[in-house]
Order: sequence, then structure tokens, then C-alpha cells
Amino acid sequence: MEHTVNSHNMHDHHHEETFLTKYIFSQDHKMIAKQFLFTGIFWSIIGALLSVIFRLQLGWPNETFPFLETFLGKWAEGGKITNEFYYSLVTMHGTILVFFVLTAGLSGTFANLLIPYQIGARDMASPFMNMLSYWFFFLSGLLMLSSLFIQTGAASGGWTMYPPLNGMRNTAVNLGSGLGTDLWFFSMALFIVSSLLGGLNYVATILNMRTKGMGMWKLPLPVWALMFTAILGILAFPPLLSAALLLEFDRIFDTSFYLSDIVLGGNLQDYKGGSPILYQHLFWFLGHPEVYIIILPAMGIVSEVLSVNSRKPVFGYRAMVYALGVIVLLGFLVWAHHMYMTGMNPFIGSIFVIFTLMIAVPSAVKVFNWLTTIWKGNLRLTPAMMFALGFVSMFISGGLTGVFLGNSAIDIPLHDTYFVVAHFHIVMGVAAFFAMFAGVYHWFPKMFGRFLNDTLGYIHFYGTIIAAYAIFIPMHFMLSLPRRYYTYSNFQTFNIFEDVSKFISVFAIISFLLQILFVVNIIYSALKGRKLTEDNINPWQANTLEWTTPAEHFHGNWPGEIPEVHRWPYDYSTGFGDKDFRPQHLPLEEGEEVH
Amino acid sequence: MFNIILTLAVIVLFYSVVFLFARIVERIREHKGKELNYYKLSKTNATLFTLFGLLFLGGFVYSFKRLAYASLPESASNFGVQIDNLFFVTAIITGIVFVLCHFALFGFVWMYRSSKNRKATFFAHSSSLEIIWTSVPALAMTVLVVMGLNTWYQVFPNKKVRNTNEMQIEVTGKQFNWIVRYPGKDGKFGRRVISKKYISPENELGIDWNDPASHDDFFASEIHMIKNNPVYFNLHALDVLHSFYLPHFRLKMDCVPGVPTGIGFTPTKTNDETREELKSNPFWSANDPETGEARFNKFSYELACAELCGKSHYGMQMNVKVESKAEFEKWMSAQKPHYETIKDKLAK
Repeated sequence: MEHTVNSHNMHDHHHEETFLTKYIFSQDHKMIAKQFLFTGIFWSIIGALLSVIFRLQLGWPNETFPFLETFLGKWAEGGKITNEFYYSLVTMHGTILVFFVLTAGLSGTFANLLIPYQIGARDMASPFMNMLSYWFFFLSGLLMLSSLFIQTGAASGGWTMYPPLNGMRNTAVNLGSGLGTDLWFFSMALFIVSSLLGGLNYVATILNMRTKGMGMWKLPLPVWALMFTAILGILAFPPLLSAALLLEFDRIFDTSFYLSDIVLGGNLQDYKGGSPILYQHLFWFLGHPEVYIIILPAMGIVSEVLSVNSRKPVFGYRAMVYALGVIVLLGFLVWAHHMYMTGMNPFIGSIFVIFTLMIAVPSAVKVFNWLTTIWKGNLRLTPAMMFALGFVSMFISGGLTGVFLGNSAIDIPLHDTYFVVAHFHIVMGVAAFFAMFAGVYHWFPKMFGRFLNDTLGYIHFYGTIIAAYAIFIPMHFMLSLPRRYYTYSNFQTFNIFEDVSKFISVFAIISFLLQILFVVNIIYSALKGRKLTEDNINPWQANTLEWTTPAEHFHGNWPGEIPEVHRWPYDYSTGFGDKDFRPQHLPLEEGEEVH
Repeated sequence: MFNIILTLAVIVLFYSVVFLFARIVERIREHKGKELNYYKLSKTNATLFTLFGLLFLGGFVYSFKRLAYASLPESASNFGVQIDNLFFVTAIITGIVFVLCHFALFGFVWMYRSSKNRKATFFAHSSSLEIIWTSVPALAMTVLVVMGLNTWYQVFPNKKVRNTNEMQIEVTGKQFNWIVRYPGKDGKFGRRVISKKYISPENELGIDWNDPASHDDFFASEIHMIKNNPVYFNLHALDVLHSFYLPHFRLKMDCVPGVPTGIGFTPTKTNDETREELKSNPFWSANDPETGEARFNKFSYELACAELCGKSHYGMQMNVKVESKAEFEKWMSAQKPHYETIKDKLAK
């Protein structure tokens, strides 16, 4: 039935496409994936550059960098960034990387690329909505970008935008109460629209447009992961929208949703009856699922890449899916572990401790299953595989420090310190980036019809993993230093971190420079790389359907009929046939097991 | 300017060399065989990755040795000792998992790197394995939850038992300092009223000076506590969120405008005792480049703000002192109640 729904699209590729409809307002999922990828790369360069600037301040707090004044003017007078600008930098760094790169960049790219390809559909359920999703993301990015250039500076109240700091306007005492903060919220509103348009489309596509024979238990793991991600996004983003709207009411119309008993300069303000804690609940009701929105697609991509390159089925396929499901469910029940120290009822805190540490169980299951997937495999260490292995390492390292923070008693001293910064950068920053790299190296031939340069890939991998660990392992030892400190020299206690901080800054800069290699590699290889030839359209000998499409792209994906699916996607090294893989469209032979 | 150009030139040169190198290597690979296989590369990479693994685990252990000096001195509060123990137990459990998983990861890559003779083993599912590694982490987490909540409820008891021995201190966060108020001899704070009638630039806290309890209240420029005497901090904020953070005591609690919070504990080590301990620390025993004196001479516990509160968030420092009862009483008798300084003005 799904098959017939699709087939009338089949002739779409005969339509004449203009430059505008093919490259700009494209409704083709593959082109939209590329748009998300390049926009994501653009944002990650901006986001990383901001971090390099504030790392200069943190690494060398007593020195000046005259070139900063050349570029930044009044924000870096005398070659030293101002404290206000520092807070803008950390706020925008967080916002850009969490939302624009690791949510839209990661999910946007791979959901668009993989969902129609791997389920055997000619395009998304609504290609038009899909196009809108990208352009809302683009507009939201434009607003956020413009806030970097306004006179009063970009938002600077932390990426979580807590009121009352961000809840009042036109008050000299409040940091980041200017236009930048309003732009932040308006940009986020557009971003949420984009995310909902995309997410609804992804779920509709996966549920309704699978090719013949593609039962849910035959879906490749990236598709499962992307579906769970979309569900999370659909349910979690709307509360953020309401949180943002109420905060804008407080800012523009002086309502008191989040404000009460505020004394500024010795004068009691008129706000009465609100609670800043309410905002935190609404924010983290999205904010926590948000980290799973980031990490689930990463898990899906890694499962696929590990399995293909180990020439082995992913171990415990169903357990992997159940683990994803449990993570989604528990992901909605742990948000207040970001709020242990807000003075909330200790009993409520203890409930969140239980749910939070419960999430360690499905996460541990996934790690053990990945390790068993590579056990007794025949590991082809392609650059994609290296990054997938790097992801597993990062996920172990960063996941385990979560066990400390999730336990409210240990969180009392660790809350809002560099231990937290180190934890989440490893587990959802670096790890998600590694999965994204793995995905790009693995599917680049499918996306661009050419291969990336492997040698540059290996240099990129080893350089990045060394630099990333050199940044974040020492950072765990700064566990007494509160985060978001412009300088730590006001405290004797924290002066001790001067050397460590310098060391971290050096590796942060190295790590940034290494990423340029990746960008160069992408641009060069997309234009001049080794070609994916039509007689070698399945270069990694993978089972999934995307590798049955021709190297040349056209709207509709398959020139003829969409292949029918007969088996699960992980029949590697089954012993049947003369090759070590059995693509999904291959009919079962006698004696072959159904999985 | 010259420096910038030079730096840029070096960076560009570096990229060009790496890029050319990568292209040459790829050309050689293409030349050697049309079908690029990863067998040979896999061996090189398995070696490199395993070496990285050794570097990683070695570096991890080394950083403990190298950075041990940067950890805080032993906890100065009763709860801090418990929290440190809990941290240690968690570190042992997660440390074992960390090392085992990484040994498996690096070991498997080395053992099962691709080669022409190797065939992968088809191994897709095992219920017993899944059950084992669902239940073992579940068990470990249960232990940690029980231990953690036990400590949690001691720090924040659900029903607060009134401890008459407890010294009350009120701390109010504002941009960008702390207002510390002691209740004076009567042990009672003068009442605060949230109303425009009471709150003014001279009286930010809105203290009702007609309340007799307010007459012996005094403001302090540092926090003083008595060793082994329980203390309770009543926390408030005037303008935005702040967080009352005492790193040496391992304690923290947010200060929320409109929502009073609090935290209580017993300080167990005086400043002098911790100063003695720091004499063996290489950082603290070294001389301060500015004063030329050993750093530990000027040691004091510190209060910091741990919730972003504005552009000078990093400057909300205050010294904290734990001392003997005699020392504390001497200090307290030298403090002048605030009412004394303003009563003439109020009378007008």
C-alpha cells in the first residue's frame, strides 16, 4: 500500500528544475540535507570561533591581544575582551552549538538524507513542509546572527536565559537586557517552528511511507533513532515556546510570570507573585530532552557505521531500539536534575535522582552492545569507523561523570562548576560531533557522489580526539571553579587553576584549527574528490537501501520501482552467499534466519 | 601587525603541507589498486588507535598525579566529608567501568582489525548477556541512589528539626555583593517587610526598625562561624538569581528573589587548621609573586556566587572564617548593631 502511495511521485524527476527550485527552494530531501549540512558547518565555525576568543581570555587573563581590538572594536578595548562581551560569547557559543549545530545541523542533515533513503521512499511525506522547515531554520539563524552585530550586543544572560536576569528590560543593572535578548527569543520561536515542521514530517514519513516489506523491525537503527528524536522534539519544544512567550510578556508588558519581590538599586519593583523557578521548569522540560534530541541521532548513526565496518550485525538490535525508547520515556522525567540547588522540595529532588540514575541503565546497555558489535568482527578502520569508535569512547567517558552529577548529594558542590562543563561537553558536545563526522565520512559518497580524502580524515580524527581529551580531562580537575567566570583572579582559591586553564586554551585553539582541515576536505572533495562510479555504488558493502540508488542524484531516488525489502538490515557475515553482506532487498534463501 | 601576518602565514603553510601530503598519499593509494581496500590501512590504524588508547589511559592517570595539587583541601564541614566519601565511592565504581570499557574498546580494535584471512563471527543476539548487563548497572545504580539519598536527606531534611544550638546567619545576594546579617545577642532577626514603605536605597532589605529584635542586628563584611557549632544560613536575593557557594565546605544553595531558601551544616575545621594543611601543597607553599610571601599566609575560606548574575558575577567574593568560640565572641562584641548608627536619623 505504501508503495502505491509513492509511485505517482516517480515521474517528478522529468520536470524541468530551475536553479532556484533545485538549489535554493528545493523540495528534494537530499538537497535539503545538504542545505542543513552546510548551514550547520557555517554555524559550527562561528560557534567554535566564539569559544576560541573566550578561551584566549580564560587562558591568558592578564595579557592583551591587540588584534582582538582590530576586529571587535569597543568589545575588546586595549586588546582585552570586556566582561559583558565575554558573557555574550559564552551565551552565543552555547546557543549556537546546542540548537543550530547539534540539533538542526545533525538531525536536519541526517533525518533528511537517511529517512527517505533507508525506508525506501521517494521523498518525505510533505516535501513542501520539509522545505519550510529549512527556511524557518535559516530565518531563525539570520535573526540570531544579526544579534551579534547590534550596538548593545548579543544576548549575554547564559544560554538558559534565566529570569530575572533576562526577564527585565531597560534596566542598567541587568546584563543582556537589551535588544539582543529579544532577538534571541524571537529567533528561538522561529527555530521551534522549524523543528516542529521537520519533526512531524519525519514521523509521518517513517510511519506511512515505508516500502513494501519494510516492517518496523526491519528499519535500520538510524531511522529508529531519528524517529524517537522527532517525537522528543515534537513533545518538548512547545513548552519552550510558551516559556519564551511568557518571558517576552514580562519583558515587554511588565507582567509578572517569573518575577516577584525584585529590588533594584534599593527600589522595590512592581512585579508581584511570579516565580523564576517556573521558567526553569519550563525551560528544562525542553532543555533536558534536548540533550537526547542531540545524542539519539548520534547513537543511531554510530550503530549503523559500527555494524557496517565490523562486518557484523549490530548486537542486540531490539534491545537497542528498546533502550532508545526507554531513554525517550525517562528523558521526560529527569528535567529537574538541573535544578537540585534551587531550593525545591528535597523529596521532589530525590524522585529526580532515581529517574536520572535509571537512565544510566539503557545508556550502559547501548555501550555494551556497541562493544559486543565490534567483538570478533572484521574491523575495517575507515575514517567513519574511527569517528564512531571515538564516539563510543567519548560516550563512556562523559556518560560516567553524569553518574556523579545525577546524584543530588554530589551535585551540591559540583552544580554549576567546570565539572559540569567538562561532563556535558564530552558526552553531548564532542560525542555528538564525532557521530556527525562519522556520518559525514560514511555517507559523503551518497551525498556528493565523491569520496572524502581518507588521509585528511585520519589526521582530522587523531588530532581531534587527542585535542578534545586534552581539553576536557584536565577540566574535570577544576571541579571547584564555578562556570561562567570571566576571570578567577578575585579568588585565592581559584587562582590555582591558571596553568590548567592555559593548557586547555592551547588545545582548544589546536582543536579549532584542525576542524578547518575537515571543512577544506569537504569543499575540495565535493568538487574534485575521487568519484563514486556507477559500477561501485555500494562502496562500503552495506545492506541498507540508500546504496541501491544510482550515484547520480535525481528527485525520486530510484529510477524504476522502489526495491522490495525481505530482511533486516544487519545480515553481515551470515555465511550465506559468496559475499559477507546480504542487502535488504535480497530475497531470503532457504535456511536463512529471519531477524 | 607583522606578528599577525606571520602567524597567518605559518597557519596557511601548515594547512598546505598537510593538504598536499594527504593528496599525495591518496594518489599513491589509487595508483596501487583500483579497488581501495582498508586492509593495510586497518593495520596502521589499529596500531595508531591502540597507541592512542595507551596515551589516553596513561594521560588520564598522569593528570591525577600532576593535578592533585589543584584539588581543594579536605572538607571543612560535616556534610562535606560525607559528600566527599560518596564522590569517592562513585569514582571507584565508574572508574572500574571506565577502564574495563576502554580496555575492551582499544583491545577489540587491535585484536579484530580487518585482514584478508579474518571472517567476522555472526553474533546478533543473546538474551542472557542483555539481562546481565541490564541488571548489573541497575544494581550499581540502586546502591548509589540509596547512598546518595541518605546523604541528601541529611543535608536537606524533609521535616526540619529545630536545633536550638544552631547559629542563624542571613545572607542576601545582590548585584554584586553579599549582605550578611547576624541576629545579634537575642538570636532573632528584626523582621523584613517586602513593601515600598520599608524598602529604600538606605534600607534595601526592608528591615522594620520598630521591631525590637532588629536593634541588635549587625551587618558583617565577612562570615564568621564557630567550629563544631551548627550554623544555618537563611538565603535571599534582591534582584536576580545568585547562588551561595562555599567550595571548602562542599555546599551550595541558590538565592532566589521572592523565594527564601536556606542551608545548614556544622563547620569542622578552622581557617588555621586548613592553613596548616596547605603548607604541604606546592601551590600554596610557593611565594605569591605580588607580595613575596608564601601564599598560605593569606589563606581564607571563600564564598563565591555560582549562578550567572550579571556582568560582574565573577567578583562576588567574600572571606569566610571558622574560629574558636572565644575568638568568635571577641569578634562579635566588636561589631556595632546597625540600629545604633541610624537611630538618630530615624528619630528625626
